[in-house]
This record gives sequence, structure tokens and C-alpha cells, in this order.
Amino acid sequence: MTSPLPFRPVACVCVLASLALPAILHAQSVCLPAPRLLTTMPMGGQAGTELEVTITGQSLEGTEQLIFSNPSISATPKLKDDGTVVVNQFLVRIAADCAPGVYDARIMAGLGISSARAFSVSNVPEVTQTQPSTSLDTALEIAVGSIVNATLVDRSVNFYAFDAKQGQRIIVDCVAKGIDSKMNPVLVVADASGSDLIVERRGGIIDFTAPAEGRYVVKVHDLTFKGGPYYFFRLALTEAAEDAIPSRLPTTQSVTSFSWPPPGLDQIPAAEETQLTSDDDDAIGISLPCDISGSFYPAADVDTYQFAAKKGETWWVEIASERLGHPTDPSVVVQRVVEGGDVVDVAELADVPSPVKRSSNGYSYDGPPYNAGSSDAMGKFEVPQDGTYRIRVTDLFGGTRNDPTNRYRMIVRKATPDFALVGWALHMGLRNGDRNALSKPIALRGGAVMPLEIVVVRRDGFDGEIDLFMENLPEGVTATGLKIAAGATRGIMLVSAADNAPRGLQMASLFGRASIDGQDVVRHCSWASMKWPVTNAKSEIPDPRLVDQIPVSVGGIEQAGLSIEPAEDKVWQVTAGEKLTIPLRLIRRGEFSGKTMSLRTFGAGFDRNAALELSLTEDQSEAVLDLARLKPSPGEYTIAFYGGAVAKYAYGDAKPKDIVDIYVSKPISIHVVPAEATK
Amino acid sequence: MTNVSTHERIHRWLLPSCMMFGLCIIHPATPCDADTPRDDISFVNDVVPVLTKAGCNAGVCHAKAGGGQNGFELSLLGFEPLEDYQHLVHEGRGRRLFPLDPARSLLLAKAAGEVPHGGGVRIEKGSPNYNTLLRWIQAGSPYRSDDDPELVSIRVEPPAGTLQPGESLTLRSIATFSDGSTRDVTATSLFESNDSAMATVSESGHVTAMDSPGKVSVMVRHQDRVAVYNASIPLGQPVDTLPTPNNIIDELVFANLEQLGIPPSDLCDDATFLRRVSLDIGGRVPTEREAQAFAADDSPDKRAKAVERLLRSPDYADYFANKWTALLKNRRDDASDITSNFAFHAWVRDNLLAGTPYDQLVRELLAATGTVIANPPVAWYKRVKEPKQQIEDVAQLFLGVRLQCAQCHHHPFERWSQTDYYSLAAFFSRIGRKPTDTAGEDLIFHQRGTAQAVNMKTGENVPPAALGDSVGEIPADEDPRLRLADWMASPSNPFFAKSLVNRYWKHFFRRGLIEPEDDIRDTNPPTNPELLTALEQHFVESGFDLRSLIRVITTSKAYQLSAIPNDHNLVDSQNYSRYYPKRLQAEVMLDAIDQVAGTQTSFANLPIGTRAVALPDNSYNKASPFLRVFGRPEATSVCECERVQSGSLAQSLHLMNAGDIKSKLAAGGGRINRLVGEKTSADEKVTELYFAAFSRTPSDAELATALQYLNEPRIDANGKPLDATKAERENLQDLTWALLNTKEFLFNH
Repeated sequence: MTSPLPFRPVACVCVLASLALPAILHAQSVCLPAPRLLTTMPMGGQAGTELEVTITGQSLEGTEQLIFSNPSISATPKLKDDGTVVVNQFLVRIAADCAPGVYDARIMAGLGISSARAFSVSNVPEVTQTQPSTSLDTALEIAVGSIVNATLVDRSVNFYAFDAKQGQRIIVDCVAKGIDSKMNPVLVVADASGSDLIVERRGGIIDFTAPAEGRYVVKVHDLTFKGGPYYFFRLALTEAAEDAIPSRLPTTQSVTSFSWPPPGLDQIPAAEETQLTSDDDDAIGISLPCDISGSFYPAADVDTYQFAAKKGETWWVEIASERLGHPTDPSVVVQRVVEGGDVVDVAELADVPSPVKRSSNGYSYDGPPYNAGSSDAMGKFEVPQDGTYRIRVTDLFGGTRNDPTNRYRMIVRKATPDFALVGWALHMGLRNGDRNALSKPIALRGGAVMPLEIVVVRRDGFDGEIDLFMENLPEGVTATGLKIAAGATRGIMLVSAADNAPRGLQMASLFGRASIDGQDVVRHCSWASMKWPVTNAKSEIPDPRLVDQIPVSVGGIEQAGLSIEPAEDKVWQVTAGEKLTIPLRLIRRGEFSGKTMSLRTFGAGFDRNAALELSLTEDQSEAVLDLARLKPSPGEYTIAFYGGAVAKYAYGDAKPKDIVDIYVSKPISIHVVPAEATK
Repeated sequence: MTNVSTHERIHRWLLPSCMMFGLCIIHPATPCDADTPRDDISFVNDVVPVLTKAGCNAGVCHAKAGGGQNGFELSLLGFEPLEDYQHLVHEGRGRRLFPLDPARSLLLAKAAGEVPHGGGVRIEKGSPNYNTLLRWIQAGSPYRSDDDPELVSIRVEPPAGTLQPGESLTLRSIATFSDGSTRDVTATSLFESNDSAMATVSESGHVTAMDSPGKVSVMVRHQDRVAVYNASIPLGQPVDTLPTPNNIIDELVFANLEQLGIPPSDLCDDATFLRRVSLDIGGRVPTEREAQAFAADDSPDKRAKAVERLLRSPDYADYFANKWTALLKNRRDDASDITSNFAFHAWVRDNLLAGTPYDQLVRELLAATGTVIANPPVAWYKRVKEPKQQIEDVAQLFLGVRLQCAQCHHHPFERWSQTDYYSLAAFFSRIGRKPTDTAGEDLIFHQRGTAQAVNMKTGENVPPAALGDSVGEIPADEDPRLRLADWMASPSNPFFAKSLVNRYWKHFFRRGLIEPEDDIRDTNPPTNPELLTALEQHFVESGFDLRSLIRVITTSKAYQLSAIPNDHNLVDSQNYSRYYPKRLQAEVMLDAIDQVAGTQTSFANLPIGTRAVALPDNSYNKASPFLRVFGRPEATSVCECERVQSGSLAQSLHLMNAGDIKSKLAAGGGRINRLVGEKTSADEKVTELYFAAFSRTPSDAELATALQYLNEPRIDANGKPLDATKAERENLQDLTWALLNTKEFLFNH
């Protein structure tokens, strides 16, 4: 194992580096190396057992620890007989009281903390497949009531055999996407000759009742028959009583789910659709406020709730189904019942919008590759006159589906202003047509500033500003929140490592603070990351998820190639309408291609600042902010400059190569004073 | 493709009509005058039919898109008489008519060839139709009088009858008008036989039966009304014995044969039946083990059991999924289509395997919402994006109705108007789309709102209506496609079940009861209407169970008739008195060759061993000359005719010389190499090859010939004798090659 080398000087090729660099630079790599844990084998284990886990990944040199987001899971490196470490193998102990679920595994490597990989804990015996079973003859015997951890072979089908008694009900479940696999699982239950009996391709279970005693076969493959180490899965065969409702293997959570539930919501809904009483015309009578659980079942189901309301009332409605993990698109329409039983529309609620425009599937990014919105609906309605009203709930995806597990929960409440935050490491196009979507752990190099993008879903009319802050950072690391302005939906958090920050790791927390109705409200920010280092989103669809923790590390063995900081550490004062010139100091620790880089500006009030050209060959430069054009209101601001530049970087003993990455200045504080104040 | 076909029919119809037009003059017995004397003359009722009969408003003449020939525009077949009137009377600076001297009108001068006319002489000067036009101009070119009656219907006389081969009959076309009057409009009616191999018809309505027995129809058209003359042409042979009917199919097929006097062939033997039904249901030849077990089985119901086994097998699902996915345009245009194409194909296949009722399958397709991964039928909306294309595909594929013409004009052979067309399009007007991460792939949702479509002709919004049937008011919250699916699945729907049973009948019998199978209309009646009705009823009563339909077809004695004709029924091509042999489809043939050769063809992104009939989309055609040469479709059309089943020189050459065939015969792990290494006798090796290729044992003569060939010494390129093993290998390869090139192998018979 070799330690990575820091930046080292190499010959400079002068090519302009900018946010949209020319296509001739396509030989460059994108983003400096970062540790990434890509696979663990097995992908989980039974609580109360110890197992050997083999890992693979990127930039894992110098691996010290395998860390889990649940303290009941611990790992130590596997040792050979002579006491030396077996590379990339660990002995993992899962405490007997560890709750079944999916947790995050990460590696603390030489460059710092890695990206996360799902690690599952169950309460049934588990098997790790070691030999391929790609034919009926080589089918792996599995016991009902166990879980198999396995991978697929390219262009192949995995075969598993089990015995069942006549009438025995067996639930066949397979989790893949939900534990970070690239696989779209297909499950088949076949007879002993391999002849297909039941097939499931939409990620569901097979609820199989054996027609006769005998041997049966489960076939598993990817929808397009892909295979390899990244196409892993956990297959569970569980016996179920005749009337039991099957439970699924646990999975990670989608990014869209961060905005659910609203703070303070009871875990159990107050009412269940089927237990409420129907009024006339099949409308279910309710009174407001309400908290109801229901299902989009059967196909084309329409649930109608009827209630009385008074003129002038304003009610907020929020429905969750997609955010509960269902493939649904809830629609909520509020209607007033008029004479004769007819209805007229009062309001049609919209989807939960993505706080920032999500990137389209075009040539290059036009937004982040994360969707923080949801097809769930949220909004308000105002009661125009006293009377009887109805809320109609339907699933716009549900016209033909008969799946009782597609459930929803609907809340109708008086305005309860609040907000929910989620963040991720900033993604942006780094060269012409770039659509990289790499998983980005917060593994800092000395002197580096890493930008995190934080977005907010606002509830019930809350539109105040939100301050962002982090806690529990490693030594030598600071975090500066560039607040989410009033009415805005996006902010930036800058995580900076001092030049000489020591190696360290902390599980940090990120928060937003706002004043709501005179109360100081602090909300935890959820964290999201790409599951895989997708180098080109045109050929592989980026697949992000929420992760359990926000680990922040400093590797301590490399420094950032470039630091940009104001010449003076002070609050820069400027009069509204005038220009502010900020001298900048550049600290280059390596060579860069190109003489200049183009800098844009982070920070509410200043983010529309025109791009600045920054010399990459001079130690000093300056940034000019034209407040006459930007027109920020008088007050306190924090901004930073950012852009892409092409560094000459050598990792370990490898030949240096051009790598384009994001570089961000240290945060800069500005005080804008009113023009009148200076007269 | 369908449009072209339809228009070709129009042109084929109209051009000879122009050429034959003089018949009215030289054949005074032909009734050209009205039954009811009339003093007035009408553009609509008199002039337009003359123009139509003369072919003036054919698609290649003045009804040509883009303003008509040389700027004189008429509506196709006179469907828009008011527009035609404007064009003729008021446009062209009024030079087309010359009221001061009507005979010098450009209309007449051109039609009669008195001045140069690109279309030649269309109306003889002095003919009744010429005189009609002249009289109309002389009368001041009226559009129509206030009391001018509307054409209500036409009838043909006689409406039906029996024609002996060679016998002729002249049809009369009688129009009935809204005032109750009738008129003989034969001279201005158009006639077309639906099968000119069975009966021809002249422009004057003179029908002549040919030698082919069966049912034939002649469509008669006047203005926008049609009538049909149905003729039965008997063979007239004694039908002494008929198989004991097994089900309703047999009763109705054999009754028809009796009526026509066509003695059926004998029932086929067991080996032929097993091979036939395995190919037709499972898209594969039987394995040797299956063939031998079937031959050894003495049970009386073994044929029914074989049908059941095949219907329950994944082979059935694979084979019919292959059929449906091509028709549903599961086409790969971009590498990123792979996921949606695999998902869609699998969805069809899995539902067939699960026995999902046909109406449910269509419902899930029509009203698909969500993403492709979560709900694969959404992929259909990726392939078929435009509402017009959606309704045209749906109508043709699931209803057997070709609506394409009605987008721009009244359907020439049917009752469908533009209102019908856009009313159907309205069902698809509330489809919402949102882009996904895959370029070109949207998620589909029901967009709340009032369903309607703009009639491009009138500019008016039309609500959803299903081919003239009201489906009631559809509230904004309801996905209108579900209402369309409800209408389709109604037991009384006149198209849905009929279309499917006719399509499946054709799958098994090579010829549909209605041909083409997706052109169901009043003017194209079935050859055995009672049978079609019975099948339709069976299908509806079974709950749209596709397996049940296949079961009743394949267990019928009619299906089990031998392909070998008797002394009389060779001329029969539509009454199912014998099994009509079918060339194996491209994929089936490739699989069959692999099965005989003991090899496997490797297909990209699929496990080794995947059969060609299980290929999810058309992309494999590119890499497989075999599949291309033998006509595997590219999934661009809802018409089964896209699959090329005709023979070609390229096919023969491919089977004889292509490298892929040779390499299969020589494959190291293949059957022949195994046989060479086995110590079984030559008899047994030949027998195995015959079972593999034909599902039967060789006859004594065949065995003797084969053994003689296998025992022939072989020499190498230098003329030296090959060693025994090499010689046996080459001889076995040659023998297998010969078997693969026989019609018995290449056809389902």
C-alpha cells in the first residue's frame, strides 16, 4: 500500500480554465481523487454474529477503519497469522441488540473519509454466495428463512433452489437499488425443471404458495442482464402465514423523503380511511384539522373526504406517498359542494416543487442532479363561503394498478410555518458538456474549501431567511453558512480546512436557524450523496440517496492545489451603489493549466455578480463588486468566489494528469451601509 | 404503410373506372337513368358522382394533396361537395364553367379531351355523364335546390347469391334518398371485388366468378355510401366424410365445407401435429424427447394434453410476446432504449405467462402511467408519442379498424368521419408527460382536465367518443383512457374481441377469416361469419382468456387437418379444408436450426441460450443477417405485414452457403460432433437427426438413402481418402445440411 502524494510541481500547459472549458480538454479527469467505498461483501449480516467483510473502492490506500453509522456494528482489520493486516478485509461484529435495518458503512482512508455504502442488518441467518450459480444444475441451495448475499454474473441468471410443502406460503424478496446496487432486480419462481411460474420485475416481492410439495427454483437477474461486482443483491426467502402482510427488506431513503414528516407529527395517523364513515355519495365525513392514512387501492381509486368549513378559513394540506417510498403521484383537489350535489373546484394542489431547478437530461447541467421536490402534493385553500367541501385524493399513476401497499397520509392543518433542509456536495459542470455526478465525501485537503449546496422546502407560507451552521467539526475545520435569503430556496455552506489542519474525523451536524412567529426555530439538515461516482450522467443515470450522517474529515497528507483568500481578514465595508474592490491572495501549491480562471460568486445578494477573471500566475489579484448593478440592501453579507481550474495532479506514484475541480475562496464578510449613512 | 395501401386501393379502383366509362353508352341495357323522373339537377347528387366515377377526384388527380392537379382541387372522392363546388364554380377566375356556351366549358372540354388534358379523356362527349354535366351548367350550375333530397343509403341488387365458377352476374346499385325516392345509380357507382382471384367485377358492375371456391364480396359505392354483394362460389364436390367435430370451430368450418362442396383433407398424423402445435404455440420444434414420448403415448387425449403443456410453458409467453412487442413498436433507436425495451418486452411476456386477460392487458397499456421501470407499458408512450399515432395504432391493432384516412377526409371504404377520428383522439388528450433522466423518455400521468380534441377540419373541440359510440361525460378527474378501455372490453363491443380472434385465427391458419386481419369493415366481410361470431363469443365468455382461445383453436379437428391436399381441395385457399403450410418465421427457424445443430446463438446483453423468439427488440436484426434475410420485423408498424414471410433467393442462398449455418453444423459442442464421437449405430444417428428436424422417424427409403450417403467414402482436397472419423463428420454435416434445406423442415405443415 502506497501513500498518496500531495500536489507536486509539473510543467504548465497554458489552456484557459473556466466553468465551461472547451471540448479539447476532454482528456482531463474531473474532480480530485476522493475515497469511495463501492462494495462490501457481504452487504449485511445477522444481528449477533461476526462476519468477514471484503471491501472494494476508489482511493482506499491508507485505509485504517471501517466505520458504521450504527455504533452496534464495529469492525477491525482482518489479520494474517503473522499479525499483519489483510488488505481490504475486516471482521465485522454486529451486536445482538442491533435493530434490523440499513446503515451506512464508510472507510477512513489516507485521503480521509469515504463515501457511504449501505450495510444491512437482519435477524435471520445469512449466506454469502462464493461460487456462481448460473444454471439449474449449479443452483445454490437456500433455506427458507434465510438471506443470501450475492452478485450477478454478466449476461447470466443466478439460480437458487429451495424445497417447499404443498400450500406453504413463501415470500421471495430481493433488495438491490435500496442497498445501493446498480441492479434492477428480476425475480422468477420456477418449477424444478426451471420452467417459469411467476415473475416480478418491478422491484416487488413474489408471494408464492407452493402448488405441490417439491423443489422450486428462484432465478435472479438484472433487467438488462448486467452483472459484475456492482450488481449485488440480498435475496430473502421467508415463510409467511396465510393472512400475514408481507414485510419488505429494509432499504435506504430517497432524497425526496427529506421533507417528510413535518416536525412534531405523530408516528401513527389519527385516522384510517377504511375506518371512517362514508357520508352520502361515498364521501367520507371528516372534520378539520385531520390526519388520515389511506391507500390508492383498487385501481383508479378516488378517496373523497367531506367536511364543513367557514368562510375566510385557510387550511394547509399536505399528502405524503411518494416520500414514503411508493411509486405514486398523488393529486389533491378541493371542491365545494353546491346545490344539487354538484361540486365546483376550489383549489388543485401542486406537487412539492424542487427548491431549485433540477438538471434536465440535456447536454450539460442546468441545475443540481438532485431532486428535492416530490410528486406528493402540498398547498393551501381558502374557504370562499360557509358550506360543505370535499377533498378528492387520487393517484395520477394509479389508473390501472391494483396495489394495496401504495399508501398515503394526508394532513389538513391550520398554517404551521416551518421548513425542511437537505444538502449535498455541490455539483457543477466543470467543462464543456460535463455531467459528472461523482459521490463526494467531505474529505478535505489542507487549505481546501468545499462548497455544500443546501436547499429548503418551505411549509405553510414560511418565507423568512434561514441561517446555516455546522457543529462538531474536526480540528482545523471551520464552516461558514451563506444563508438562505428570505423567500429563497438555496444557500451554500463552505467547509474550510486550515492549511495545517491535522488528520481527523468527526460526525458533524448541519442546521438551519430561522425566526418563525418570533420563535427561534432550528432544524436539522438531511444529507444526500450520489451512490456511485458517475463520471457521465449521459451513460449512467445518477442515483442519489439520503445518508445517515455528515462525516467531515481531513486527510492530513495532501493539501489543496489552490487557496484563494482575501488579502485581509476583515469585514469589508461598502456603501450601497458603489463599487467594492477586494484584493485577493492566491496560494498555489501545484501547477495549473491556463493563466486565468473564471470566478462566479456565492452568497445572497451577490450571486448575480458578473464572472471575474482571476490570474492563476500572479500571487495577488482583485475582485470588484459593482453594488450599483447588484443592488443589495444595506446589511451584513457573506460571500465567496468559486470556479473551475485544471490542476496538474499526481496520485501516489502515478503520472501527473490534468484534473479539473471546483476551487472556492475563503468566505468574505461584507457590510453594506446605506448611501444616506455616508452622506 | 396502411395509408398507402388504402390509397392504392382507391387508385386501383378509380383508374380502370375511367377507362371503362364508355360502357354506359355502348350498352344501352345498362340502366343509367333515374327510376324516378327528375326535372332538377343537383351538384351533390348528380355532378359529384359523375366526377367520382370518372376518377377526377382520385388521390392522384384533382384530389391530390397540396391543391390538386394543376391547381384544380377537388375533395377526395367528393366527400366535401361544398368545397368542390367552390373550387369548380368560383375559383380559377370562373373559367372552368362557361355559362354563355356551356359546351365550351373547360370542365367538359378537358374531360372529353377536346383540349389537352393530362388525365386524358375521362368522359366521352355525348355520353350520359357528359350530358349530366352539360345539363347542370345549362341549368346555371346550381349547388342544390332547397328540396334536393339527401342520399340516405344505397343497396345492391342482388345482395347475395351463389355463383358457379365462370358464371357472371350484373349488379345494380340503387340509391334511396331522404324524400323516399330511389334511383338506379349503377352508372355512377364504383365496384370492387375483395378478392380478384375469386371474382372480378367490371366498372359497370359485371361480376364473374373464378375457379377458387369460397366467399367473395363486391363493394359498391356511391357518394359516401357503400353496399356489399356477397357471393358464394361452390366447388360442388361431394363431401362424403367429415371428421367428428371436436368443438364449435369444427361444426362451423365443416358446415361451410359441406355447403361449398369442398372435401377436407384427412387429419394429420401425430408427429405432424406435435411439430405443428409446438411451432404455433411455443415457436419451437419439439425436442427429440418430446417427439419420442408423444409417439409412444397411446392416450386418446394426448393432443389436448400437448396443447395444454405448451400453453403452460414459458415458450408460449416468449413466442407471443415476440409477436406483440413487434406490433407494439418495441424498437431500439438509441442505446439508452435498452432498459425500456427490455422492461416492456418482459411486461408483455410475463403477463402472457401469468394468463392476464387480454382486456386487462390492453387496459394496462392504454392507460399506462408512471415510469417505465415502475410500470413498463409506459414504454409504449415512448415509442408512440403523438395522439394521432396513438389512436391510429390502437384502432388498427386492437379494433382492426384503419382510421388513418379519416384524419384528413371521410374514410373511403367505411363510415368513419373526421369527427370519429378526433373524438377518438380526445381519449388521449389528457396524457401528461414529465421528462425523466433518460433523454427521450417521459413519465406519464393523467393530467386533470376536460378531455377533448380539435377537429382539424372544423376547428371545433370534440369530446371523446368511441367510433361513434357515446361513452358519457368524463369528469376532469377521470383518465379518459380508462373509459376507452371500458368501452373496448364491453361484451357488446363490435371490434375488440373480433379483431383479436381474427388475428389469432390467422396466426394458426395462415389466413384470417377477414383479410387483412386488421381491416375489419362492413365492406370486407369474413369468409365464415358464423365462425367469427362463435370465436368472438367464446373469447368474450372466457373472460378474454387468450389461452382459452388458443386451446379451442388448436384442439379443433379443423386445425388438425393434413396439409396434404386431396383430389379436390388444392384450389381452396380460404375455407380451411386443409392446413395451409407456413414458412417458419425468422426467429423460429434460427432456433430450430440451433436445436437441430445442438448449438446456441449468442445475442448481445442476453444470457447464452436465449432463444431468438425471446429477443426483446429489433436491435438484434442489425447483427444477424439471418434474421434480416428471413424477414424479422423492425417494429415500425402495427401491421403484421411488416414481417416478411415470402421466400427469396437470398434466403435460399443463406441456407445453402452462409457461414453461420456452416459453423453451426461444425460447432465443437454441437450435435454432429457429439454423434461422431458416439458409438451408436448409423441408423440411430440418422433417426436422431430426423427426430430433431422433423419430429419423426425416417421412412425406410429415407433411412436407406441416408445410410448410403453416410457410408460414402470422402476424399480431401488432394484426392486422398479421409479417415473414417473425419468422413463421418463431413457426411453427417452434409446430411444435416440437407435436412435443414428441405421444405419439411422450413415449413410448418
